[in-house]
Amino acid sequence: MLFLQLLVSGIQTGAIYALTAAGFALIFGATRVFHVAHGATFALAGYTFLALSQAGFPWFLGAGAALVVAVAFGLFMDFFVYRPIQRHEGSFFTVFVAAFGMSIVVQSLIEIGFGRGFAVVASPLTRAHEVLPGLYLADIFWVAIGVALVMFGAVTLFLERTRLGIGLRALSENPELLRAFGLSSRRLSMVAFGLGSALAVPGAVLTAVTSGLQPAISAQVMLVSLAAAVVGGIGSLRGAALAGLLLGVVENLVVSVLDTQWSAAAGFVVLFAFILFKPSGLFGQAVAR
Amino acid sequence: MGVPFSIRGLDKKFGGLAAVQNVDLDLQEGVTTALVGPNGAGKTTLFNLATGHIIPDGGEVLLDGKSVLGQPPHHIARLGVARSFQDLRLFGRMSVRDNVRAAIEPTAWLWQPGGGVAARKREAAVDAALDRCGLTQQADARAVDLAYAERKFLSVARILATGARIWLLDEPASGLDPHSRARFVQLVRDAVAEGVTICLIEHNLDIVTELADRIAFLDRGAKLAEGAPQEILRDPKLIGIYFGEQRT
Amino acid sequence: MTAYLINLATLATIFGILAASLNVLIGYAGIFSIAHAVFFGLGAYAGAQLALQFIPDVLLACLAGGAISAALSLCLALPALRVRGEYFVAASLGLQMMAVTVFSEAHSLTGGHGGLVGIPPATLFGADVSAPAPFLGFALAVLAVLLLAVRLLMRGSFGRALMAIRDSESAAEAFGKDVRALKTLAVALGCAMAGVAGALFAFYMAFVNVESFTLEQSILVMAMVIIGGTATLAGPLLGVLLLLLLPAGLSFLPFIPPTQIGAVQQLIYGLAMTLLMIFRPAGIAGGRR
Repeated sequence: MLFLQLLVSGIQTGAIYALTAAGFALIFGATRVFHVAHGATFALAGYTFLALSQAGFPWFLGAGAALVVAVAFGLFMDFFVYRPIQRHEGSFFTVFVAAFGMSIVVQSLIEIGFGRGFAVVASPLTRAHEVLPGLYLADIFWVAIGVALVMFGAVTLFLERTRLGIGLRALSENPELLRAFGLSSRRLSMVAFGLGSALAVPGAVLTAVTSGLQPAISAQVMLVSLAAAVVGGIGSLRGAALAGLLLGVVENLVVSVLDTQWSAAAGFVVLFAFILFKPSGLFGQAVAR
Repeated sequence: MGVPFSIRGLDKKFGGLAAVQNVDLDLQEGVTTALVGPNGAGKTTLFNLATGHIIPDGGEVLLDGKSVLGQPPHHIARLGVARSFQDLRLFGRMSVRDNVRAAIEPTAWLWQPGGGVAARKREAAVDAALDRCGLTQQADARAVDLAYAERKFLSVARILATGARIWLLDEPASGLDPHSRARFVQLVRDAVAEGVTICLIEHNLDIVTELADRIAFLDRGAKLAEGAPQEILRDPKLIGIYFGEQRT
Repeated sequence: MTAYLINLATLATIFGILAASLNVLIGYAGIFSIAHAVFFGLGAYAGAQLALQFIPDVLLACLAGGAISAALSLCLALPALRVRGEYFVAASLGLQMMAVTVFSEAHSLTGGHGGLVGIPPATLFGADVSAPAPFLGFALAVLAVLLLAVRLLMRGSFGRALMAIRDSESAAEAFGKDVRALKTLAVALGCAMAGVAGALFAFYMAFVNVESFTLEQSILVMAMVIIGGTATLAGPLLGVLLLLLLPAGLSFLPFIPPTQIGAVQQLIYGLAMTLLMIFRPAGIAGGRR
């Protein structure tokens, strides 16, 4: 039963990872910006939700505010950090360092505002019931799965069926097609950052009510999104989501074999192995060396 | 006359697309060969295959009659093959002088073979190359800070200084103003006079007629024709392909 | 007060070696590693074990630390040869995360979370050099020797070949540079120097544990190099001074509560990283890019 229990919590963690990683992959796929401040978006959304919940606002207001903050931060990064750097032909590393700097800023601001410790929003949804002998499940599990499926479905539909979505997919591959569509790459990159950042919100809110938030979560989420994006095949939304789910499950299942300390490392062993032996990831095209 | 460099039945597919198929090409000693053809004909890919930057699917690359197929680019370079790139690929954050120095140092250790004598020889070669390419004034400037024409000449200076016997030049004169172009043509003629074997990719047919002794015409990865410039450039079918493609 | 200053100077010297070593990778070879604390740590553990088990000779410890780090630098060289750009950064992140887990789990070698304690006072050829002033003197000598070596190497053909690879790998190959061998050597050199810094650090602290070799440390060193200016000799040292003096300086400001100094320091260096990347990507000591 321990195995099943771990599998279930792995799937729950994985659902959150999947959505967040999909946001990262969406942004990278469309704009070729390695948005490592995505973890900071996640942390900001989570703490916004936390602050409003602690102030007594209902959950949907908190979640709404988290969404606004996340999207605003994504757009801010695009506008005031990435674009000025790209204007003077900054290398990928310049972009990376700038984004990393901003996530450090966000993490320390949160530390100053909320302290270093864990913070959880209490919710009746997290009370666990015994669904099978020895298997405990909280309602939040179904919420997480449901939200992840709905969000992922919606984004997929958007990317495949709408003009804006198709433009977004074409942005990195075929800029000429964009002109034919009458879309500006500027506007599309805004859409990518807005939508990608929004995808971090459900995970942030769910994490706030389940395992809790801490300032360092921004780095943790960044690492996981990055790992999932690489393992899934950089730029592939489906791959990132699947790899996110996989990482969540692996992280939890490892506990049944090894010490808990190894669980965080397990994901990175997978990442390292992929980069060495299959850098194109699960669904990526061959990497241009 | 010898054939220092030759390509036999070279094949390369990218995905399903045949980028180069069954191409034969002989570079004869001291002869300048131009690769001509519409965009996407596989000219640059042919260079990449010849220098080991891309591994071919089939065929043979011979240097002085010996196969160099599958050897890494730095081995082939050390055998006396130098090349330029369409997008130049200068060592941007290094000085002009260091660009040329880095290009000619045979190994990369603290001490170069040959000691002080060789070092002075190398410095002399660097100075001479910079002088011939008109870059002496800019020797200490960083490559990225050069003007467009100067950057093109630096890419030639790197090759010139190596003393390589075989030069593969990828669109070396594109975008040059008439004055610089004339200087470039002279530079290549001087090299040929010194016995260098040259293969160049060029879109400007004026330069091709000025420099080339032979033309190989490529289209969609295959060599359609090879011969003296007058023959090739008077063939209405080839000219049709060349300009037809260029207009669309 | 003098004791405090000597202590600070010793720490700055050790970090100076560390930053100079990362500069070999980032600045000259264009290998953007964020796993540098791993090799600092390997050197520290190796030096500490040597002192604990055999002989507390600081010079031998430096050599041992450098050798171990150089040998294990293959873990970093391998991905550096296979992938570039974002993929390599991701790989080095993976390596960093795995190493932290190994450091905290391999009790027999690293003492686990508790670390290795009771490192005996440093000696040099049998003479006690553990007092602050002589130890500083020794550290400064090591720094001077290593800086001289880096200067010699980077001004020579080795450095030119590395920078050529940094600026254009394919062109460097086309001019006869053995990219694989050069990158492997550059990684070994940078990591060996980090190992030397680690061994010194072990004697300086008299104990070592995993806390000093985490991702945060890697980022701090990266920030030092980047803020100071890459590919210059003075840049990383300047960065070290700025970032080490920052917390000391902040503690003199009355309006910052002492508990927040850490967070404020992070905030400032994060902000500095981002702003520098936007306005002066070559760093403070670097030229216009």
